[in-house]
Amino acid sequence: MLLNREQSGKRWHLRPDGAPKVTGQLQYLTDMTLPDMIHGRVLRSEYPYARILSIDTSEAEALEGVYAVLTSKDVPGLNRFGIATPDQPVFCEDIVRYVGDAIAAVAADSPERASLALDAIRVEYEELTPLNSTDAALAPGAPELHEHGPGNVLHRTEIKRGDAEQAFATCDHIVTETYYTPRQMHAYMETEGGLFVPDEEGRLNVYAATQHGYKDRMQLARIIGCPEEDIRVVSSPIGGSFGGKDELNVQPYGALLALRCGRPVKMHNSRKESVRAGLKRHPMKIEMQTGMSREGIIQAHRVRITADTGAYATLGAPVLNFCTEHCLGPYAIPNVDVEGVSVYTNNGLSGEFRGFGGNQAIFAMEGQMDRLAAIMNMDPWEFRRRNMREKNDPGPLNQRILVTDGLSQVWEALDRSELWQKHQSPPADPSLPPWIKRGVGAAIAMHGAGLGYGIPDPAGGRLSLNNEGKIEVAFSYEEFGQGLVATLEIMLCDLFQCSTSDLSIIIGDTDRVPHSGSSTASRSTTMAWMALQRLQTPFRSRVLAVASEMYGVPADELVTGPGGVWRKGQLPAGSSEAETPEKAERIEVAEIVAVGNESTQIAENYLGASQYLAKDEAPSGLVISYAELATQGEADEWIFDTKFDYPTTPDNVVGGHYLYTYAAVAAEVEVNTLTGATKLLDTRHVVAAGPVINPMGYIGQIEGGSVMALGFTLTEDAVMQDSRYVTTNFDTYLIPTIQDIHTNLEVEAIEDLPEGDAFGPRGIGEIGSVALAPAITAAIHQATGVWVNRLPVPREQLVRPLNVPLQEGVSPS
Amino acid sequence: MSKPLENHWTAVVNGEQKHLEIAQTTRLVDVLRTHLHLTGTKVSCEVGRCGACMVLMDGEPVNSCLVMAYQCAGSDITTIEGLHGEEKGTLHPIQQAFVEEGGFQCGYCTPGMVISTKALLDAHPEPSHEQIETGLCGNLCRCTGYGGIIRAVRKAGERCAIRETSAEETVS
Ligand code: FES
Ligand code: FES
Repeated sequence: MLLNREQSGKRWHLRPDGAPKVTGQLQYLTDMTLPDMIHGRVLRSEYPYARILSIDTSEAEALEGVYAVLTSKDVPGLNRFGIATPDQPVFCEDIVRYVGDAIAAVAADSPERASLALDAIRVEYEELTPLNSTDAALAPGAPELHEHGPGNVLHRTEIKRGDAEQAFATCDHIVTETYYTPRQMHAYMETEGGLFVPDEEGRLNVYAATQHGYKDRMQLARIIGCPEEDIRVVSSPIGGSFGGKDELNVQPYGALLALRCGRPVKMHNSRKESVRAGLKRHPMKIEMQTGMSREGIIQAHRVRITADTGAYATLGAPVLNFCTEHCLGPYAIPNVDVEGVSVYTNNGLSGEFRGFGGNQAIFAMEGQMDRLAAIMNMDPWEFRRRNMREKNDPGPLNQRILVTDGLSQVWEALDRSELWQKHQSPPADPSLPPWIKRGVGAAIAMHGAGLGYGIPDPAGGRLSLNNEGKIEVAFSYEEFGQGLVATLEIMLCDLFQCSTSDLSIIIGDTDRVPHSGSSTASRSTTMAWMALQRLQTPFRSRVLAVASEMYGVPADELVTGPGGVWRKGQLPAGSSEAETPEKAERIEVAEIVAVGNESTQIAENYLGASQYLAKDEAPSGLVISYAELATQGEADEWIFDTKFDYPTTPDNVVGGHYLYTYAAVAAEVEVNTLTGATKLLDTRHVVAAGPVINPMGYIGQIEGGSVMALGFTLTEDAVMQDSRYVTTNFDTYLIPTIQDIHTNLEVEAIEDLPEGDAFGPRGIGEIGSVALAPAITAAIHQATGVWVNRLPVPREQLVRPLNVPLQEGVSPS
Repeated sequence: MSKPLENHWTAVVNGEQKHLEIAQTTRLVDVLRTHLHLTGTKVSCEVGRCGACMVLMDGEPVNSCLVMAYQCAGSDITTIEGLHGEEKGTLHPIQQAFVEEGGFQCGYCTPGMVISTKALLDAHPEPSHEQIETGLCGNLCRCTGYGGIIRAVRKAGERCAIRETSAEETVS
């Protein structure tokens, strides 16, 4: 189905956080203030690699208005953090390993004074030569950045099947190419920051963005050396993340300063500091050699991946696992020889980023497919079909995966599309000047969801009838913009035929939600759906049983509906529908939320945002309202919890996925061969991810992912020179603007799932961003004949001298 | 010889006269966010590139991270908090259109986008695609891919146009 507003009808659900966002009333965690707060700042390294000889904080401490100056000596617990491998120092003790490394933190009564204090801290360094490339880091005799080597290797991966060596010897054609991908920046609009508030009971309240509040809480407790219960983490709303706020960033400093000073501390990174200290996408070098038979059937595939993971581990190892799995594409290849290595360097910090290593792998693998098809002189789409895995084939790691038709469906849907059909005979446009060239390309991908085999991936959730008579769900997921709250509303309205005003949705607060895993790896939609599947029956049974007992109506004659329990068949018309556009016409803005108020209200204000939507009229003819029901029995009898794990493959392959989503993308480009500029004209994304719950959110995720991938392909690279960032802000790091985007972008959703599928809708947070790059580079090849192997596409490779007659009077230079 | 600047600053913000004692070199974005607690105006790049801090100064869109207090003293400033529908407490047609068309996700760019859209539609009530591109190319959005924003701007344009026509009719 072509997904757009018109097709979506009444499922076009307005987001409950809409009005507060468009009016500027919504307080992000970095907007929060308290009257007695002070300001925290972090002193970061002057060098990418150096030994610290001494740190003198006395001058800074003596400054007026400075409340605290902290260094590694002041960390009561573990002076390290990192979700997977805690190897990043909160404060460096003796060595700095990248330009974002923290040495000290200060709190002062104004941001200006805090920065004066930073200037007054004297650090003596012995500068060392940075390992500014993976080659330098792997060279024999290179200094080891970490004790937990060997050498500077964080992680290695390997997949071997069949005998690639021998197979290559019998292949008729072999394509060998090396692909390079950039150090992409998340570029979320809200930089890191928040408010850290110690309270009278000795607890610490942390208001700072993260993708998993519980994980932050665990790490902070470890740093502070306190029980986890002594910390409350409020972590939504978030002004964008894309993986970039999954690791701790300002939290350790804000927390330690607040505890030391006994006062609220505000932190808010400048963009420059955010660039310098924050995560990036792993730059990778992917060498590929792919061999096929005379008939165009792939026989052998050799891959060597080198990932620059930067100074600390973060999620470098799982990212490499994911890349390794995905560099085989959705193809059946008998002989496989893949090795990956993730290397520590002094080049910033690489980590988790939307697509999680899939983007790099898919760019390379699909590039190979186009090159092979060209050798065969075969249609590249047909070439893919010949080599595609069969529906019942094992997954890329030879593991069992859930069988769906997704792959062939996206292949067929794209094949049928008008845009891809243009590929056959690129339309010649005589009105275009001769240096403008057009081409069409396409790519296909299967993308794993969830964290994969062998990595704890807990999920769960809570459904309850709270004492105000609201149907309340609580998850430890976060809203960083993707529209999770709206999706939950739609799911709940569908399940209980209730209206949005019957709902209370709680996320992003460790004091109020159960531990149900993180918002990562395209998992929250599936997880929430699975949790609600488990919880709905016990919840509904109790609601109906109590209503039945009170009114003497058999439970099977009752149903849940708007406002409460109804007799079957008497639900008001249209009650099962989510908020309709007509209702939206009545949106009003509630009273302005006071700024800098009691901070704990913020989350509630945000989460109570559904109050902004017009309330349904009080329904008549219902048996009993939820509010009355809630007064029956003990409060905890109305609470239902579930815990389970994200589905993984039963086979013992670490990182192997079980659920996959599928995508095919076609792109038409226009290349100006005088300037090397590429413009994306037309794009079609076909996505097979199960039923579309929230069309507005779905379209938004694919469009947003696609434009992010456009930046990855054409303009984005956090360039480093000698391990220092050259591109430090949006004036030189170029993300797409409204002028740079696709002139046309269509999203086609394939909603089929096999009968009885127990996993429901799959997340689509990443699938829109993984396959556009190879589609664009294929289109560039058709337009210009240039095989691009490096992203962002180097313009100079596309510039072609033209035999354009010189203008009269202009002398040739 | 020029007189040293005094720290007395006054301007009309969202229709209200404001007086502050602040350094004249304070950036407008800080005047708004820190001193007036108007945190609807966001801060992101601080170099005039992202548009998150966009406000109207005497009706013109400006990046408030690039304007110093002395440059806007005495002017008429409209922030996102100053925008509303026909009555206070209702959504402006532009805001309404952003909600309906999914013109936001995380929402951090949204106040700036809405303000730029206001300036755009004031100048071009029925903007062409090129005018939308020019009007909004100073506002970065990392979440939406701009699709929802473009649909919202078009819809807001239509709405404002209708409103204007009907207003003219009432006048004549
Ligand atoms: S913060 Fe002013 S333009 Fe980015
Ligand atoms: S909605 Fe997040 S930056 Fe635009």
